[in-house]
Amino acid sequence: MKKRLVAAVLACVMGLGMVACGDKDSGKKGGSSGSDELVDGKFKETKHITVEVYDRGVDGQSDPADNMYTDYIKKGMLDDYNVEVEFVTVPRWTETEEINNLLASGGAPDICMTYSYPTIQTYANMGGVLDMKPLLDENQDKLKNLNDWLGDTNLYWNLSDENGTLWAIEGKRANNRRINTFIRKDWLDKLNLEEPKTREEFHDCLVAFRDNADELLGKDAKKMVPFSLSYDVGWRAALLIESQMDPDITDKELYVNGFDDRKLTQKGTKEAVKILNEWYNDGLVWKDFALYAAGDTTEDDMLKAGYVGAFMHNWDYPFRNGEDSIQANLKRMVGDDAKFVAVDCFENSKGETLKYVDSTAGDRKIFFPSTNDEPLASLLYLDWISDPEHIKYLQIGDEGVTHKVLDDGAIEVIAAPQGSKEIMNSGNNIDYTITCNGLSLGDEDLTLLSLAHSYPGSDPADVEQAIDYAARNPKEDKNEKITEVAAENGMGEALRVKSEVAFDTAVVAKPSEFDKVWDNAIKDYLSSGGQAIIDERTQKFEAKYGSSTSVD
Amino acid sequence: MKDVTSVSVATKTAERTNWKAYFKRYWQLYLLLLLPMVYLVIFKYIPMKYVLIAFKKYSIVQKLGEMPWADNHGFQYFIQAFHNKDFLNALKNTVGLNLLDLVIGFPIPIIFALILNELNVKWFKKIVQTIAYMPHFLSWVIIYGLALQLFAPSTGFINMLISNLGGNSVPFLNDPNKWVGTYIFLGVWQSFGWNSIIYLAAIAGISPELYEAASVDGAGRFRKIWHITLPGIKSTIIVLLIMALGNILGSAFDRPFALQNHLVMQNAEVLSTFVYRNGIKGLQFSLTTAVGLFQSVVGVIFLLGANWLSRKLGERGIW
Repeated sequence: MKKRLVAAVLACVMGLGMVACGDKDSGKKGGSSGSDELVDGKFKETKHITVEVYDRGVDGQSDPADNMYTDYIKKGMLDDYNVEVEFVTVPRWTETEEINNLLASGGAPDICMTYSYPTIQTYANMGGVLDMKPLLDENQDKLKNLNDWLGDTNLYWNLSDENGTLWAIEGKRANNRRINTFIRKDWLDKLNLEEPKTREEFHDCLVAFRDNADELLGKDAKKMVPFSLSYDVGWRAALLIESQMDPDITDKELYVNGFDDRKLTQKGTKEAVKILNEWYNDGLVWKDFALYAAGDTTEDDMLKAGYVGAFMHNWDYPFRNGEDSIQANLKRMVGDDAKFVAVDCFENSKGETLKYVDSTAGDRKIFFPSTNDEPLASLLYLDWISDPEHIKYLQIGDEGVTHKVLDDGAIEVIAAPQGSKEIMNSGNNIDYTITCNGLSLGDEDLTLLSLAHSYPGSDPADVEQAIDYAARNPKEDKNEKITEVAAENGMGEALRVKSEVAFDTAVVAKPSEFDKVWDNAIKDYLSSGGQAIIDERTQKFEAKYGSSTSVD
Repeated sequence: MKDVTSVSVATKTAERTNWKAYFKRYWQLYLLLLLPMVYLVIFKYIPMKYVLIAFKKYSIVQKLGEMPWADNHGFQYFIQAFHNKDFLNALKNTVGLNLLDLVIGFPIPIIFALILNELNVKWFKKIVQTIAYMPHFLSWVIIYGLALQLFAPSTGFINMLISNLGGNSVPFLNDPNKWVGTYIFLGVWQSFGWNSIIYLAAIAGISPELYEAASVDGAGRFRKIWHITLPGIKSTIIVLLIMALGNILGSAFDRPFALQNHLVMQNAEVLSTFVYRNGIKGLQFSLTTAVGLFQSVVGVIFLLGANWLSRKLGERGIW
């Protein structure tokens, strides 16, 4: 009897499970039917959209999908357009993989963003992305803020020459500074050294750090790292690499070799890596740099603990994250005078310290996957988020809570307590202002004045120096747009790894084997698809600009 | 003639009634079996139709039936894979690392089980066993974290020890060949305790009378291991060996992925990480499905081959 009962119960459970499974399919229909028109600029029926937001996994952050700023956006969108907004978090450091998975499973948010255009292109080729051109054309009149903020350049940057499709619009960089070299000012002072102005002087500083480890670090002398790198050498030594390139490099050459944004195949890169190789073999470079993956905090921890003499990174890197910034940690853990300052010391063959700065486009690409049932509501979201007032509020928050106004009108950001709803998970909340990367307060002078004050925990004078150096002798990346290079499809990831392997293995090679290691790695890169891309890029460039090597 | 027919009809009816009666009696058990069967069908068999992706041009928006067939009678992606030097390298590494794992990693749990079995102090045996099992429960990401603490060239404990003793630090993790050693060592370390459980169980099943009889005959410890314990667990060893051989082209993802770094890629890229990089990250789903299918087919061939061989040699095999 008992057995029968158990069996009957199990059978029922199974039956229910099947019914439930069946239901799921039939239930999710008819979402987009009904009124799409706006009445007084508002939807009649409440619409629901999902929006991607990065999760940076920073200590003490708030829930990226639920905090004071998301509340602000949600309320604004509901009041202004009757649109409910839901945020979907995607880990920042694996965003491409994550968005791939979401797209492949049909579960991507209605509004997606990624730094990887090839990802969008690949899905667009499979029919997985909405064409934004007709959407923008139809709704031109409703998108004033978006048009004003991005302008035609960024909106139509990815417009195909061939068939007029537009798979993504480009967010705008409000600040196109890219990279800086940082050095420990207090160590220079201790050793009576000046801030280096040339590569030679920089090298001398590194040698001095290495040789005086006992004085600088005492019992931790063995932990001394004069210059730190990460597995991503092409980025973390970019100023050195760029200084070895031809100062008069043509637009064509930049474009043709531009698939690898670490400039692997540009002329001069080999010389730069050779210099790094010498430094490495002289004990000036962190030995373990290649062992830690993206997003690992070991190097940051070393910077914070004060074991590192110099490094290159994003132009504002040591100032980021308020009280948890490298600068603030150094002060706490090492001493009041311990700090990094920016230096400008990698001169090219003309003696200039040239900086390749970003173009205003070429930042995060925003696109709608084909599973987006609410393209209009999504466009209105982009418009709303591009309103200068909204950008300003999201970037500085409430006066007295997350910022104060100084006497000269500059806005100084105050760090909110860790874990509170007011804390900004990304600098100036750039993860929410998806069409705007970098501080933008509506007024250029005010923005610049405030930029130096937007890093709580750091001395504004140090930030000013970094602002200044990162934009000195700028060369803007034209970021030539020829929308589709077929050879690039699906190659991004495999070639990225090849490129990184080339840099990493060459840096650690024995000096006598450097040439062999580098040349073999380049050969491998080129024969794995790199050459095909270069060839197609050359051909497309020539098709568009003829024999000219300039895009102007 | 007539007789024969009627007899065979009679047996058939008897069989049918037997079967019916049997089913009537045990239908609850079959009902219970239904649930795991449904699970298998839904999650293991129905998804199998997607191996067709290997022969088609994949698209996320099209249904499987709508996707166009790949070129070369559908074999385009297999041809592409075998022309891809990264794939061939990954294949070579997979086989190499798995063989090393087999040669070194397979006997160690057996030896460990034999040693444990010889221990007479119960509490000591228990402690050793527990400690040996523990690494099995660590994820590979954590093990890599531990490996960095121990083996990193400048901050690793072992290397600090070596350099304090006046030696040069050893690139356990960043030299491609030394890395292979580290990879195998960590694999063995992680799994030998756990894998020995099944052998210990098999040893426990050997009749103690055999040992007693052997003692009476004057056999020593090693004689007993050689003539009683090992033959006693031979069939277990063979079953596990067959399963290990079936996995010769298979590769777990997390172990190589967690342990690899850019400096050792030439030896560390295996099929699973190749598929991840080119399929999930590089969006070449058809190519990587083809690679996965190839892996499975070779795995099945090895499994059947090993099974056939073991039966040939008079053992039971898995079927």
